Amino acid sequence: MQHILTILLQNESGALVRVAGMFASRSYNIESLTVAATADPAISKLVLCVHGDDQAVAQIANQTCKLIDVLEVHHEKAAA
Amino acid sequence: MPAQLLQAEAAIDPHPRTEPATTGADVVVRVFAEQGARVLFGYSGGAILPVFDAVFRYNARHPQADGSELMPLVVPANEQGAGFMAGGYARASGRVGIAVVTSGPGATNIVTPVRDALADSVPLVVICGQVPSSAIGSDAFQEAPVSTIMGAVAKHVFLVTDPRRLESTLRTAFEIARSGRPGPVVVDIPKDVQNAAVAFRGHGQLPIPGYRARLAAIQSARIGDDACATLFAALQRARRPLIYAGGGVIAAGADAALRRFVDATGIPVTTTLMGIGGFDTTDPLALHLLGMHGTAYANYAVEDCDLLLALGARFDDRVVGSPAAFAPCAEFIAQIDIDAAEIGKVKPVQWQHNGDLRVSLESLCRYADAHGLDLHGEGRYADWHAYIAGLKQAHAMDYDRTSAPIQPQAVIEAINRISAGRAIVSTGVGQHQMWAAQYMDFRGPRQWLTSGSMGTMGFGLPGAIGAQFARPDALVIDIDGDGSIRMNLGELETVTTYELPVKIVLLNNRGDGMVRQWQKLFFDGRMASSDKSLHTKDFIKAVQADGFRWARRLERKEELDAVMAEFLAFGGPAFLEVMIDPDACVYPMVGPGASYAQMITGDFIACRGRGNATPAAGIHGDMF
Repeated sequence: MQHILTILLQNESGALVRVAGMFASRSYNIESLTVAATADPAISKLVLCVHGDDQAVAQIANQTCKLIDVLEVHHEKAAA
Repeated sequence: MPAQLLQAEAAIDPHPRTEPATTGADVVVRVFAEQGARVLFGYSGGAILPVFDAVFRYNARHPQADGSELMPLVVPANEQGAGFMAGGYARASGRVGIAVVTSGPGATNIVTPVRDALADSVPLVVICGQVPSSAIGSDAFQEAPVSTIMGAVAKHVFLVTDPRRLESTLRTAFEIARSGRPGPVVVDIPKDVQNAAVAFRGHGQLPIPGYRARLAAIQSARIGDDACATLFAALQRARRPLIYAGGGVIAAGADAALRRFVDATGIPVTTTLMGIGGFDTTDPLALHLLGMHGTAYANYAVEDCDLLLALGARFDDRVVGSPAAFAPCAEFIAQIDIDAAEIGKVKPVQWQHNGDLRVSLESLCRYADAHGLDLHGEGRYADWHAYIAGLKQAHAMDYDRTSAPIQPQAVIEAINRISAGRAIVSTGVGQHQMWAAQYMDFRGPRQWLTSGSMGTMGFGLPGAIGAQFARPDALVIDIDGDGSIRMNLGELETVTTYELPVKIVLLNNRGDGMVRQWQKLFFDGRMASSDKSLHTKDFIKAVQADGFRWARRLERKEELDAVMAEFLAFGGPAFLEVMIDPDACVYPMVGPGASYAQMITGDFIACRGRGNATPAAGIHGDMF
C-alpha cells in the first residue's frame, strides 16, 4: 500500500538529512521525495511517498513526529 | 605595554560590577552555570581550546573557600570515557550530564556514548569543537562531519554557524535533552564561533514550535475518567494482573507513584533491565527482572498473567522474544508511555495513554480513591499473590553452591549481603551484567546503571566514575567483566587521579563469557575468538601501576566474605579481581526470538513444562 506523508519542517541546517536519514536507518525506502519552500521562508514542505502496511507507516510517521525540526506530519493513504 | 601604562591601569579601581568582555566560549560556560552544571567531563584539543580556557578562567574567577573548583572539568583517558562518565552522572542523578570534546577524533570517539544515551533515554549535552567555519568541508585537520554523524544517533544536533545564536542554541540543547523522553543533544561549535565577541544575555531560546507544541500536549495529557473506568473495569475482571515496568518509571521520577499504585491495587511488578530500582526489589510483590535472562518466576508470571500493564516499557526484543507468544494469556494489555511511537509498536494494546508516567499513575490512584476502589484491601488478588509466592519459592534463583571454583553468583550475593540494596552499581555488558541484575537488590531508582539497549561493553568503569561525581558519599561499585573492563581500561587512572572511592569488582572468567555461552548453545561449542585464557594481562599489576592502593586477586571461595567486607569498607579506590568458574552460564535463558515456554533454566533452577530439553528449539538462525 502506498502512503503519502506531508511534513512541515523548520528550515534548519541538516533538517532534510535528519528526516531522510531516519527513514534509511529504520529500513524504510522512500519512493519519492519532493521538497519545496513555503510562503514562510523558515519553513519547508516535504512530500514523501513510502510503501508499507498501515501499521508500519503509522510507526514511521510517529517516529518522524519526534524529530525536533518537524512541525507537522500529515499521513494519508494514496488512492489505489 | 609600557611599564607606566601598566601601572596607570593598575591604579584604576574597577567598578565592582565590571565583567570582562565575553567570547562565544565564555557564553558556553555561562550557560553551563545557568543550567546548574556541577561538573564537566571532557578532553581538550585544538578546536575546543577556547572553551577549556573559558572554564579555567571561570573557575579562577570564582575561587572556593575549600580550594575546590566551582565547575571542575574531569579529564578521561579517551573521549568515550568522558561520554560514559557524563552518562553515569546523568543516570545516577537525573541531571543533564555534560561532555566537552574537540573536533574530528574527539567527536567520533564520543559517538558510542551518544548513541548509548539515546537508546537508554539518558539526558546529555555534548559540546564538540569544530574546525573554523571557513574550513568546514575542506578536509581540514581533525575535521569530521559531526552534524551528519551525530544526527543519526542523537536526540538532536545543532551546528552553530552564527555566534549570536550560540547562547539560545545551548539553552535549547539543555531543554531538549531533559524534556519529554530524555536523550543526548550534540552542539557542534566551530572555533571562530567560540572566539567571537558576543555578550551573554541570560535569556532566550531557539524557536522549536513543533517540539514544544508536542511537549505541551504530552505534559497536559491526563487520563480521563472514562479511560480510568475502562482500565479499572478490566482490573476488576482480571484475576492475574501484572505490571511490566521499564526505564520510563525512573526517567519520569515515577517510582513513588508506582509504589502508591501498587499499594492501592496489589498488582505484582516485574521490571525490565532499565526499570530495575523503579520498584523495591525486596518487596514481596516484586518479581525482579523479566525477559531473556529474567527470573524464572517473573517469566512464568508473564506466561500466566491475564492482564499486563506496561509502564514506560517498550516490549524490546530482549524482553519479548517472540511478540506473538509474549504474555499469551493476557486478554488485556494496557500501556502508558511518554513516547507515542512506542505504544503498540511491538504488541497491540487494548488500552493506552500517551503521557507523563508520574502524572498518569497519580491520576489512576486519585480515581481509585475517589471511587472507593481498594483492590488490594479487599484482597481481590489474594489467590494470585499466593500463586506468585509459590512461583518465587518453587523457581527461586540458584546456582552450583558446592563447586570448587568460585561461582560468579556467589560473588554478587556476597556484595549484596553488605550493600543491602543501597549501593550504586554500574556494569559492563555480558554475563557479569546479567548476574548482577539477577542477584543484586535495589531499594530505589538511579542505583542500577547499565548499558541496556546498546549493550556497550566498557560502560562500567567510566559509568561508575560519573556516578561517584554525582553521589560523592554513596558506595559506588563497578561490577565488571575481563572483556568489558579492557574496553576502557585507561579510565583506571582517572579513578586514582581524582581519588574517587570507586570499588571495582572484576569477575574474571578469562574471556567473553556471554559469547562463549552462545557459542556453546548455537555454534556447537566452537569458541571463535572468545577464549582469553592465554592472554597475559595481570590486572592487579595494572591497577597498582595506576595508583590503586587496595588491589587483590581472590581465588579461594572460603575467603570470599572476609575479603569482600574488607574491600567494600576501604576508604579509597579499590580493586578486587575474582577468578570465577569460566564455564558458568547465565540462567534462566529465553533464546533469542523464542517464547517464554521455551525458557531453559539450567541445572539449579526448577523448570516447568517443556523448556530445558531443547535449548535451541524454535530459535530462528538469524535471531540475534
